[in-house]
Amino acid sequence: MLQFFLDPVLRAPTLGTMLMGLASGMIGCLVFLRRRSLLGEALSHAAYPGVVISVAIASFLFPFSEKGALLSILIGALIASLLGLFAIDLLEKRLNVKSDAALCFVLSTFFGVGVLIASRLQMTHPLWFQQIQVFLFGQAATMVDGDIGIYGLLACLVIAILTAFLPKLKILYFDPDFAKTVGMKTQRLDALIYVLLVLAIVVGMRSVGVVLMSAMLIAPPAAARQWTNRFSTFFLLSAFFALVSGFLGNVLSLYVPNWSGAPHLSLPTGPMIVLCAVTLCLLSLLLSPKTGLVTRLVRIGRFRFRRRQENLLKALYKKESYSKSWWLMKRLEMKGWAKQGALSEVGIREAEKLIRLHRLWEVYLVHMGQGAERVHANAEEMEHILTPEMEKELQALLDHPQVDPHKQPIPGASSGVSPEASMRENL
Amino acid sequence: MSPYWGATFFSFLPLFFQRMFLLLTGRLALSDLASDEIQVLTLGLISIGAALIGTVLVLRKMTMLANALSHTILIGIVVAYLLMGGLFGVGIHFRTLFFAALLCGILTSLLTQLFNHLLKLQEDASIGLVFTSLFALGIVLATLFTRNAHIGLEVVMGNVDGLHFDDLKIALFVAGSNLCLILLFYKEWKLLCFDQGLAASFGVRPSLFGYLLMLLASMSAISAFRAVGVLLFLAFLVGLPLIGRLLCNSMGKMLAWAATFGFVISLLSVALSRHFLTAYQMPLSTAGLATCLIGVAFLVIASLRGLTFTKNSQILKG
Repeated sequence: MLQFFLDPVLRAPTLGTMLMGLASGMIGCLVFLRRRSLLGEALSHAAYPGVVISVAIASFLFPFSEKGALLSILIGALIASLLGLFAIDLLEKRLNVKSDAALCFVLSTFFGVGVLIASRLQMTHPLWFQQIQVFLFGQAATMVDGDIGIYGLLACLVIAILTAFLPKLKILYFDPDFAKTVGMKTQRLDALIYVLLVLAIVVGMRSVGVVLMSAMLIAPPAAARQWTNRFSTFFLLSAFFALVSGFLGNVLSLYVPNWSGAPHLSLPTGPMIVLCAVTLCLLSLLLSPKTGLVTRLVRIGRFRFRRRQENLLKALYKKESYSKSWWLMKRLEMKGWAKQGALSEVGIREAEKLIRLHRLWEVYLVHMGQGAERVHANAEEMEHILTPEMEKELQALLDHPQVDPHKQPIPGASSGVSPEASMRENL
Repeated sequence: MSPYWGATFFSFLPLFFQRMFLLLTGRLALSDLASDEIQVLTLGLISIGAALIGTVLVLRKMTMLANALSHTILIGIVVAYLLMGGLFGVGIHFRTLFFAALLCGILTSLLTQLFNHLLKLQEDASIGLVFTSLFALGIVLATLFTRNAHIGLEVVMGNVDGLHFDDLKIALFVAGSNLCLILLFYKEWKLLCFDQGLAASFGVRPSLFGYLLMLLASMSAISAFRAVGVLLFLAFLVGLPLIGRLLCNSMGKMLAWAATFGFVISLLSVALSRHFLTAYQMPLSTAGLATCLIGVAFLVIASLRGLTFTKNSQILKG
């Protein structure tokens, strides 16, 4: 584990993928909140021709300098991606093209330009061509310490600017009208966010690749959103998820070829990082304590179980027949509601409470104007849901009824509040 | 020896039309088709099919779904071949095509629905997550099973030079079925594009036609992916209808314009690619050329329209 941070060969890829995750995870939050997750997809593809053209120029200007090539790639990608942003804006506003079509059009035509020029380089500069292809699906393994300096600097720049503007962004995202009235320059702030998005994409290209970059802008924020409702925690969690998936993806892309029996095969890092991020996101969507699918299912299951217990309790109280399984009976005994098939003192009180709630709700529904013959089914549900507070309010609202719409007595109805007390309340 | 060897752009076109005339009058056998002609015809058919489907997709604002589909066909193809044997062989069998298209269409729509409704994730993020993760899975599987680290490259960029006569047959079949289904249900598509409510009240079921559209789109994407790759197919699908949209205001004309531009651009791109090879010994990606031509055509037409707009307004002011 630790070797990934210390070993001179493994160190750079590990740090590189993690820094990339940090930048994209944080900026992705803003895009996620704007519900424009697919903008990242278009902008990352639009960066590709920039990479290719700058390599073509670099191979012409300084054919032997690797450093110069790296820098020119970053700048080229930045310019192309910003051009893409400009083109999308132009299509949407000037030519009245719908947003989705504009994104797709820019994405594919920009990419086409890249492919065309890459096919030219393939013959004339095969080595440079291989360098470019790394940017399609990412190849962190070939990063060296020198690269980390530049990528780290860019990632830190993104993070620093974001942190500095966090309070302003909070206002802008939760209440854009208020932001305008207090005199914030919202358009300039939006432009800043888009520039940061492009920067994060440029940083991520090397390790995730342009084709799959958009996943790193979506998955970590989507995962983080499941765990928190706070703005700042959302950012931190998203950055954390992206860090973890960057690290795991890098490690897995080294190990998976070994496991599959082809040790010399170099697996691109991008797909592995994306798969890790999506797995984390899926786990969050399933398991998060508030909105997770499993959590919701467990909650529903527990409610159903309680309802069955309470229905059995009622049936025992009314001496009706009810399909009682052995373990449901056991469960009642565990709760102290029953003893040897008969109800205990506590059980009788519980059953009376259920029947009271049932009949109270029936009275309430009739009070609200429903026909007395139709209220039973609804009350059958509500008796398991009503809380003591709601019961008290119902009692007060309905003036402590003694019988339900079917002329059945309401057990223990008058035990709650004495008539004098209720009169005092009414006064 | 290809008859187009050494042809420039200007000698390519007359030669092509001459040979096509011979083919139609039966004086040239199908088996004598040169590779350039197969490329022109396949690309042309692919782009016509894409233009027809794309028009409906653009008008229904479903292009992001098309983008998702163009990525997820990879997993469809990988799984289809794993089940039916042989990975990335010479041609694609019809049944494999069907199976893969069905699989990826269903998988994409089902998973997006699942993320959106069951897991309660917002829609844009659901689409984005589903297609990127399936594409990532497809790349990893394809790389591992073919033991080829560069497979991802071919998938994304396509290779027109590797086209085969079988690819032409598939493209013909797909373009034909697209054309038939679009013309057959022309009224229904038109209704669905412009007024979903009215369509529903006439008994046209949006979900049924939505699935049909998905199936057609994924079939077109799969038939195209060997030639132009998954991403450049999107340029055909979205770019051609957008050009058509610039030129007219009616769906019928838009379909016709998009298809016409599709065929002309395919022809020009193969001719240009041959020209660059002859004149400058420069092999270029034909698919990339076609995409650039779509972009250029859009830009030129948009700026021309912009000019006429300003002229008109000046006249009005004057």
